[in-house]
Amino acid sequence: MATTVLASARHKVDDLGQAIELCYERGWTDGLPVIPPTEVAVRGMLDAAGLAPDQQITNITNRQVVVTAEKVAINAVMAGCRPEYLPVVVAAVEALGDPIYGYHGPATSTGGAAPLIIVNGPLARTLDFNSGDNLFGPGWRANATVGRAVRLVMRNVIGTLPGKLDRGTVGHPGRYSYVIAENETESPWTPLHVERGCQPGQSAVTVMAAMAPHQVYNQLSNTAAGVLDTFCDTMKNPGMVGQPHYCLVIAGEHMRTIAADNWTKADIRNYVFEHSKNTVAHFKRTSRMPGTIKPEDETAMRPIVSRVEDILVVAAGGRAGTFSCYIPGWASRTASTAVTRVIKEGRA
Amino acid sequence: MAFEILDPTVEPRKQPLTYVARPDSLKGKRIGLVENTKYNSDRLLQKIGAILVSEYGAADAKMWRKHNASVPAHDEIIDEARRGVDVVVAGVGD
Repeated sequence: MATTVLASARHKVDDLGQAIELCYERGWTDGLPVIPPTEVAVRGMLDAAGLAPDQQITNITNRQVVVTAEKVAINAVMAGCRPEYLPVVVAAVEALGDPIYGYHGPATSTGGAAPLIIVNGPLARTLDFNSGDNLFGPGWRANATVGRAVRLVMRNVIGTLPGKLDRGTVGHPGRYSYVIAENETESPWTPLHVERGCQPGQSAVTVMAAMAPHQVYNQLSNTAAGVLDTFCDTMKNPGMVGQPHYCLVIAGEHMRTIAADNWTKADIRNYVFEHSKNTVAHFKRTSRMPGTIKPEDETAMRPIVSRVEDILVVAAGGRAGTFSCYIPGWASRTASTAVTRVIKEGRA
Repeated sequence: MAFEILDPTVEPRKQPLTYVARPDSLKGKRIGLVENTKYNSDRLLQKIGAILVSEYGAADAKMWRKHNASVPAHDEIIDEARRGVDVVVAGVGD
């Protein structure tokens, strides 16, 4: 039977300042100050989500760590989450524990990936996740604190500590928080979570092991193909070869240009898949692939992902500006695959 | 005013782990090599296997390839290694 007892160790502090400093001293922060996790705050978080403290959220087998609702709630309080955000954090943590996400690889690898968390469905609007201006930037509590909570769980519960079980060589700023919502209100396209099997009325997170965003600028073309040609020209020279996914984040002006040609997300994927290929010779010449260049390598075309459907398309970003971005995935399909999880509210 | 905060960390679950005794000699031993898929890890392990045979008298060396570098050796490797080899060499080539 589920217990209501909070089993975590308790630390007595004299005041707020000492609590914040204690969290630094213990290595519990991401470098920024955290909200001290009091029992009242943690209980409020669990109650809002209808979760018992000892409920298992996921089990990271490689690390022999069971992640409980209590630990997720404590870290969510520390990150600054509102109680109603907890189901989103929980869904993302569940996704991290899915074997096909392969937690240990993207969390530990020198590649320095971060979990990109894309929020879809009604909750994205209710909880005010940003899907527009300054998409990846600061200023939205939901985006900033949900991703931060996930990172704190990775750090404090699963042991993903820089220099130890986090060996990212350069990492990227998304490791603080990497959360966006899809702009379903203005998008002409099928939402990401529906493409991935959810119902339109459901809310969901899609979690992808991801490198940093690469911006694409095209102010000149007024056709879908013209806009996507700029994407493809950049993407065909990737930092790495063989990624499991690419995520295209298409912002307002580009979205409207592409939609005006009646292109669907499937059309976008097919076009990008075909036009972002490069030759094996190019990859060998630029030391992205091993081996000597053979004559046939000059015409052997290699796609950026192994399957068309491994390109994720998300409508998000500001309405003004001819910028969009793409986000390369980490490693390979055998190492990590994006996971979509329905956000469950009021589970108890 | 003094108050309490809750600890956000956990201790990993402890589990018993027993190592097989290291052999005194590799003479006549069957060597297993677990390759982690990184560039050149197969070549490095092949070389190690050849040295263990030619210089240390091992009987032979057999290599397996993991699914990818980030996961433990899968069950098929473990089962075959348990049945078919005496010593295993594994490492992270990168």
